Amino acid sequence: MFRRISGFAAALTLAVMLATASAFATTKTVTIRVSGMKCGNCSSSVAKALKATAGVKDVEVSSAKGEALITYDDEKVNEARLREVINGTGFKAEE
Amino acid sequence: MLITLPAVAWGQEREAPSLTLKDLRGRTLRLSDYRGKVILLNFWATWCPPCGAEIPDLIKLQKEYGRQGLQVLGVTYPPERQARVLRFTQRLKVNYPVALGTREAKALFSSDETLPLTIIIDRDGKLRDTISGILLPVEFEEKIRPLLMSPNPKGETKHVQKN
Repeated sequence: MFRRISGFAAALTLAVMLATASAFATTKTVTIRVSGMKCGNCSSSVAKALKATAGVKDVEVSSAKGEALITYDDEKVNEARLREVINGTGFKAEE
Repeated sequence: MLITLPAVAWGQEREAPSLTLKDLRGRTLRLSDYRGKVILLNFWATWCPPCGAEIPDLIKLQKEYGRQGLQVLGVTYPPERQARVLRFTQRLKVNYPVALGTREAKALFSSDETLPLTIIIDRDGKLRDTISGILLPVEFEEKIRPLLMSPNPKGETKHVQKN
């Protein structure tokens, strides 16, 4: 009986560890330089478009620094797609 | 206990302010002339990159939904020069009226400083929503398409101006 419970606990622990590792492994953060964000009242479209993109978890856009800090699920979206989204707002994602 | 309700209660949209401007050819553009249509009053500027990026989408919406009663109206935000706006709109082949606006014109509709800014006005001339930043497809589906499904309360619009 004790052996059966121990086996179950070990399997459960392993499953939780794998799930946790998987969750962390898919989250990435990238900083993308964005040129042209000179008008403070129009750069909000960058954050808006990125936040509406599937897989994007968090966005911080600074027009003063000229960059976007993006946290995303790399199983759902990649950096190239994020750059496309930024370029689609009329600004330019620098390489 | 007496609770005073604001003049505009939930579900009672405010009437769109009266707006009269000059279009790029010097003709008078009155917002009231488009009563009966679902209006997207788009405040934009040539110096605003997202505004320029959004215009092709607005052109497409005007083309696809114009027959269902959608009317995009572009209003520029200063500083702008008429010649520059004219060149800009001609290059992009803008298919809806564009007027030269003022800070005061935008302030009539919203205190939001963002550009582009799109005010949604229903067929009854009521302010329904404000889109801050580029209009996203999901916002069109949620906030504008349902308004296009509603019938025109006055039948045909009394005037349609073409650029």
